[in-house]
Amino acid sequence: MTRTGELAIDVCGLRKVYRGRREVVAVAELDLQVERGEVFGLLGPNGAGKTTTVEICEGLVEPTAGDVRILGRRWSDDPRAIRQRIGVSLQETRPDARYGQLSGGQRQRLAVATALAGRPELLFLDEPTTGLDPQSRRSLWEVVRSFRAAGGTVLLTTHYMDEAAVLCDRLMIVDHGRQIALGTPRELIASLGAGHVVELEAAGLAGRVDLGRVAGTEGVVECELVGDRLVATVERPHRVVPDLLRIVEATGLPLDGLATRHTSLEDVFVHLTGRHLRDGQEAS
Amino acid sequence: MRARVLREVGAMALRDYLRTPDAVFWTYGFPLIMALVLGLAFGERGAQPSRVAVVAGAEVLHAQLEPVAGDAVQIEIDTAERAQRRLVLGSIDAVLSGSLDAPVVTIDPSRPDAELAELRLESALRRARGELADAVQPRIESVDEPGGRYIDFLLPGLIGINLMGAGIYGVGYNVVQMRVKNLLRRIWVTPVGRVEFLVAFLSSRLLLALLPPFVILAFGMLAFGVPVAPGAWAAIAVLVLAGAAAFSGFGLLLASRARTLETLSGLMNVVMLPMWLCGGAFFSNDRFPAVLQPLVRALPLTWLTDGLRSAMLGATDVLAAWPATALLLAFAAATTTLAGRLFRWA
Ligand SMILES: Nc1ncnc2c1ncn2[C@@H]1O[C@H](COP(=O)(O)OP(=O)(O)O)[C@@H](O)[C@H]1O
Ligand SMILES: [Mg+2]
Repeated sequence: MTRTGELAIDVCGLRKVYRGRREVVAVAELDLQVERGEVFGLLGPNGAGKTTTVEICEGLVEPTAGDVRILGRRWSDDPRAIRQRIGVSLQETRPDARYGQLSGGQRQRLAVATALAGRPELLFLDEPTTGLDPQSRRSLWEVVRSFRAAGGTVLLTTHYMDEAAVLCDRLMIVDHGRQIALGTPRELIASLGAGHVVELEAAGLAGRVDLGRVAGTEGVVECELVGDRLVATVERPHRVVPDLLRIVEATGLPLDGLATRHTSLEDVFVHLTGRHLRDGQEAS
Repeated sequence: MRARVLREVGAMALRDYLRTPDAVFWTYGFPLIMALVLGLAFGERGAQPSRVAVVAGAEVLHAQLEPVAGDAVQIEIDTAERAQRRLVLGSIDAVLSGSLDAPVVTIDPSRPDAELAELRLESALRRARGELADAVQPRIESVDEPGGRYIDFLLPGLIGINLMGAGIYGVGYNVVQMRVKNLLRRIWVTPVGRVEFLVAFLSSRLLLALLPPFVILAFGMLAFGVPVAPGAWAAIAVLVLAGAAAFSGFGLLLASRARTLETLSGLMNVVMLPMWLCGGAFFSNDRFPAVLQPLVRALPLTWLTDGLRSAMLGATDVLAAWPATALLLAFAAATTTLAGRLFRWA
């Protein structure tokens, strides 16, 4: 039996290399500690190694290296004892499975329901809401929340940052099989040092705007040009927007759009990797 | 009609064909194998002697015929009852009884060799009587009463084929299908153990396989009056059970590692085709040359069909069916154990 306070999942030095015609490093190096009673999210783009990590924790995939303890036990000790205490919903691979008459939402809810069937202490959900309509996603979030409220622990993967932000107590952002950030959603967003993003758009802006001047503006923490869109991370938008407007005005171009929003996990990911979280997702 | 379209679509169809090993096998491999095997079984019969059993009590006839028989007719003595059964099973071509002056030749007219055997016997009888004696036309009897017809021979074979299909296809195909559709992984993540799963799956498939043989049997009895010896039911039941177990185990073995249905279908062709042809289901294995006998006798389907056939013809009570039953059960145990070791969820 595990003592209270013991970790639900304790993974150290995890590495997984698929050897085939071409060697694929699915997980390069990963430590993962999930406390009992929390909803922990693995957030990352496709191919980041989320499924591999989760399936190693589920005992479906042998790690190349690393120590894995689930509810205090290793898979080599007593697999059945672990299976009796966990619930698993696998990543949906084929939409045309046997229960193909069900809609995506029904299918996912059924998968999660079967995962919950054995009254598990620890629940693994691999992309539980991918491809679902907003309503089905929300009802699944409710299931996760009530499971947690009853004392359950959840490890889930997602590539939706809004889902990660509202559902997870703690998050690990992974990319190329490595941790690139870890913390509560609030901590991760706060790590950017500013709470808002201002976007200004004008046709032809890319060639004309003086990015150095934008960066030098008081209150701008970070700025970049995405096409003809100027994106600035700022502390207090009401103070900075007038200055930014003046800079754009100076180019003589008519302003096509102005938007401000709170910084999101997406911005955290872009900040850390220089890429967007969902880049290439459509392709796979 | 644009030439380029015709060319490209034609080339695509051709490539598609060549990339489908199954299609290539069924168009080239299968007919050639059929021709080879059936050729071995039914080919050079002219060159082979007709096998004739002289019934016990007509030993005089045997002694008279022996010196003039030559290479074309091979004569032996057997009891009337056994000779009749061997004729039905196809291991002899004719039964001779009566005397030199009033010979009776029994044949099975539905068999391709019957006529040749009859002609050869007639000429041997003529030689035995001497060229000068009056020719005596033997009385020809045919075994077309229930028990001696092809349908009577075929029915146990169909039951064997059915059990083979139920096991190899019913278990094998379903297991691989579950693996392909990720269903096995879903079971893997539950507390259900591997052995528990395999035992439960095999048992339920085994139960499903037990009914059809009796439906086939009942149909044969009702529609064609196929006789089943009164004491044979216990032996038939035991053989059906053992056969179902043997082929279910075999199916599981084939499916234990296969990751795609294509792989499985290749494996199934390799094991099922020889049994279709050489399992004694459609024609007697005695037709194969002596060198091939150890091979065709080693096929589980041969054990099953031969066992069922003897049982139905009344040659077998439960005890007499035990060698076939034991072989099938041993085969079931071996394949199931091996399958359990090799089995992979994913
Ligand atoms: N069975 C496998 N064989 C070879 N490569 C694999 C296998 N499973 C996953 N990969 C590769 O490992 C990498 C990580 O995959 P995965 O863990 O599925 O990522 P994610 O779930 O984050 O999308 C990918 O490059 C993927 O192609
Ligand atoms: Mg995945």
